Amino acid sequence: MLDMVTLLLMSIAVGLIGSLTGLGGASILTPILVLFGFPVKEAVACGMVAIIATSSGSASSFVKDRITNIKIAMYLEMFTIIGAIVGATITVIIAPVFLYFLFAGFLLTSFINFRSSFKEDYTPPEKQDTLSKRLGLEGSYFDKSSNQIVKYKATNSLLGGLGMFVAGIAAGMLGIGAGAFKVIVHEKVLKIPSKVSSASSSFIIGMTALAGVSVYLFSGLLNLTLMAPMAVGTTIGAVVGGRLLCRIRDRNLRILFLVIVTLLIIQMLYKGVISL
Amino acid sequence: MTSNGLGSGESKLETVVSYILIMGVVISVLLEIIGISLFYRTYGNVQISQSKTVFINGQNFFVFILVQIQHLFGSQSSILFMTLGLIILILTPYIRAISSLVYFTWEKNRNYVLITLFVLVVLTASLALH
Repeated sequence: MLDMVTLLLMSIAVGLIGSLTGLGGASILTPILVLFGFPVKEAVACGMVAIIATSSGSASSFVKDRITNIKIAMYLEMFTIIGAIVGATITVIIAPVFLYFLFAGFLLTSFINFRSSFKEDYTPPEKQDTLSKRLGLEGSYFDKSSNQIVKYKATNSLLGGLGMFVAGIAAGMLGIGAGAFKVIVHEKVLKIPSKVSSASSSFIIGMTALAGVSVYLFSGLLNLTLMAPMAVGTTIGAVVGGRLLCRIRDRNLRILFLVIVTLLIIQMLYKGVISL
Repeated sequence: MTSNGLGSGESKLETVVSYILIMGVVISVLLEIIGISLFYRTYGNVQISQSKTVFINGQNFFVFILVQIQHLFGSQSSILFMTLGLIILILTPYIRAISSLVYFTWEKNRNYVLITLFVLVVLTASLALH
């Protein structure tokens, strides 16, 4: 078994790499904890708490930089919190063996969002649906790289909400941020720019994680000696990673990370098969 | 540079929200570090425990907070500090939602008052009804 200091150092490393690659920290830490013999449900519950800390830390700087769209985030949070409560409730009820396979399936999606940089060009949708227009799901931000104000508007708000509900279920069930999936919904369905999408996603992830934690809190799965080093470590790692993000754009780092993910997928599948 | 093209009121909300998030995370991380340090001082090791005492138990989050506050001055236990760190962490996005509600009410934006209220009611119910 691990001790808290080793877990803290490990969490810093995972938080750092997760932040640099944009592939998330807690989603990698949970299978690592399973590898060290911790019950999967306990790891999922504690991972969910760590996500509140990391996402709040990174969301803070995005909000200050005026990139996050609080109105779009609040609208989408209605869907993600319901999804997270449903997802976390399912995890509390189901047999752990399902979680091994579901986690392996989720880790596979890390290979889909292999985006090395933010898309710089943005074309607003030609038409905005009635609900998006009524809720004022639009805005603008100052883009430092192009030195100009980018105006944008969201569309397909109901379909986007449905997508976020699904993202919330995945987040609540597996104790992850599901940030990559949320960003895809923002960009492909709601048609908002990449930078606003990533910033708003960090903001939404914190509230979604809170909804998941509200279920895990008294389910007897929340181990304080596991949660504390995870929360501290991943937060420190994410903060340092966030500061380095502008300086490091290393494709090799992503490849290394995906090799680790592959090993974790094999490990989770192995655990699942032997638990059958 | 003002974002979202929504004027200085929204900028103030963004500033307040930003401070709430960063303060919540910093306080929580500090409490967790104190908790881990006290754990070492008390038990002479930092092993991740599977003892029942390190698992959260209770019925209602808001009653749970009151119980922890009652213990605040009577105990210096490592578990108490870790629990307080957890409580602050949980309250951080919750207070952020309350501040958004106050802002949208002040702005008389009925749609977003309803949206924020919905989020708060669902979270409060989920935290209270277990």
